[in-house]
Amino acid sequence: MQHKMQEGTIISFTTISHPPKGFENQPRTIGLIELDDGKQVLGELNLSKLIATSYKLIGYRVKPHTRLSRINEQGLRIYEVCYEPLAQKPMETKKEFPGYIVALTGPSGVGKTTISKLLTSQISIYTVQVPILTTRKPSDQDENEYTYIDAKKFEVLKKQGKLAAASNIPSTTDTRWYGYRKSDIEKIWEEGKIPVVITEKGLLQDLSRHFGRRSILSFGLLPPGNSKRMMLSCLLHRLRQRGRDSEASIQDRLKNAQQDLEFFEQKSHLFDDLIVNEDVDAVFNALKGRVLEVVSQ
Amino acid sequence: MNQDIFLIGKGQTPFGEHWDKSLKNLMDEAVTAAIDDAPINALDIDFIVVSNMLGERTNDQAHLGAMASSLLPHRPPAIRTEAACASGSVAVHTALSLLESGRAETILVVGVEKMTDVSTDEISSALMGAADSEKDIPSGLTFPGIFGLIANRYMHEYGLTKEQLNLVSARHHANGVSNPNAQFRSAIPAEKISESPNVADPLCLLDCSPVSDGAAAIILSNNHESPIRIAASQLSTDTLSITDRPSLTSFPATKDALDRALEEAEITRDDIAHLETHDCFSIAAVINLEDLGFANPGAGIQLYEADNPTPTINASGGLKACGHPVGATGVKQIVDLTKQLTTSNKRYALAHNFGGACATCAIHILENTDA
Repeated sequence: MQHKMQEGTIISFTTISHPPKGFENQPRTIGLIELDDGKQVLGELNLSKLIATSYKLIGYRVKPHTRLSRINEQGLRIYEVCYEPLAQKPMETKKEFPGYIVALTGPSGVGKTTISKLLTSQISIYTVQVPILTTRKPSDQDENEYTYIDAKKFEVLKKQGKLAAASNIPSTTDTRWYGYRKSDIEKIWEEGKIPVVITEKGLLQDLSRHFGRRSILSFGLLPPGNSKRMMLSCLLHRLRQRGRDSEASIQDRLKNAQQDLEFFEQKSHLFDDLIVNEDVDAVFNALKGRVLEVVSQ
Repeated sequence: MNQDIFLIGKGQTPFGEHWDKSLKNLMDEAVTAAIDDAPINALDIDFIVVSNMLGERTNDQAHLGAMASSLLPHRPPAIRTEAACASGSVAVHTALSLLESGRAETILVVGVEKMTDVSTDEISSALMGAADSEKDIPSGLTFPGIFGLIANRYMHEYGLTKEQLNLVSARHHANGVSNPNAQFRSAIPAEKISESPNVADPLCLLDCSPVSDGAAAIILSNNHESPIRIAASQLSTDTLSITDRPSLTSFPATKDALDRALEEAEITRDDIAHLETHDCFSIAAVINLEDLGFANPGAGIQLYEADNPTPTINASGGLKACGHPVGATGVKQIVDLTKQLTTSNKRYALAHNFGGACATCAIHILENTDA
């Protein structure tokens, strides 16, 4: 029961008119909750306080309570964790289909930036790179893919709900926030083009919550290699070779990379295709094909 | 299939409420019909596979293999399979494996279930045995509840409306009118579906397959021929609990079993003329059509909006109109598809049967070798 005592987000819900024997004989609303540690659980939703109607609960944040669940045949009182939806705005608000976004996800050094540049230069009539908002300091190595902003301003934008996605990427040296502004993405749609974003797990999950999973043409990029160890050593090689990062930063990136590779397995539903980046041209052609398919729809 | 195995006999009881018949009576009726239909006599049967999910709980009866065997004069060896609502197709899969292994040459498969002898509470609790007793049951969830969760999520992701979803049950009821073995033989217009009592929002009573009694039997053989050959039999599984799934709106076990079945039969999806799919709840039929690749994700309902879809979908009336005696359904789908192939003289038909929330999925492809 301990692990169920976490906040989470409603994935789906249903109200059962006649619950099973032993439970209170009145309609019972049950939610499938994604807890903040990523595990999913089922639990009664306690709707009495804030939300009168059970409609549109998907995407609401919930907090846990223990509550008498039922009394069994031997008279034992069984307590279970139930969840109370919080009155704040749901995380996942968009119901209509807003448009497509191409998302490239993968560990540092796998070639996201290179592929993104190719996409947005070779087929620029269809695709535009979305500027990455970041709180980290500019570096000579950056190639104007970033919009720099200080941490306070970032926090304000986040609170105002102006960010479609925000994520804090762990580093031993400082806290770095990365995000995408809603307005940047919407502007590209208005131009009739497809926004291209570079993401990691936090950003991808946020974007998928915000715009709906099916808006995202989601590509996971994997380094070549038959095993996780081989893939990581390939990344290490590439990171050292490109010479943009200090050794300490490379170590950070590798640590994150390991988690990124695991993320592909754990959250496979967030990806349409996993592509091994062995040959940049081949990857570009594969992506181009998918983008043109969407454009022609 | 590593050899040619033919369906040489089939039979079933009407599905419905059979208060005057026992589990054994139902089994006997289907078995007798199948043997009468086949060009063999009972003594040619050298093995029996029985499928049943709930005998212990609804009829105080386990040991159904021996019960089935006692119906034949020479008491051939017999076993029982259980895989919740997929018990029937798993029995067929087991029988085919026994034939392929050389252990038997002519096998009787009989699926049977008698569900109406116990209260609604009891049957609902018994059926939850198909879910995860640790992760799913303590919340107070029921099976309609599981599919209620699936339906709400599907509607959220794809914008499907309840009015659209109503078309599924309406179509299955319309199809059931001409099936003499169906539990319900009246057409029900789409708008009536959501007027039925709420069961697990957004699903109403008429979105759910009913509680039924019934039995179905087939005889499979590799030493007697018939025009109907089994072209593929594939089984796939998924997590027992929906809480362990990355998505609620697709059943990967279906995709997996289908890919392997098409490969085994060496055909493509377009070759399938008739489909019987597992519509335990209306939303399941929509998702199944997508996972089987007859529609894109989110577009399954379009096949119910169209007048004459290809392939034909649940022309028997499906689980909704025929009734769903859980252990019998998988066998009954094959009985119906055999009839459909013989009538239409088309070549291929596909049976898609699953248990739980598609935690077990079996797909069979039948070939009409006369076509």
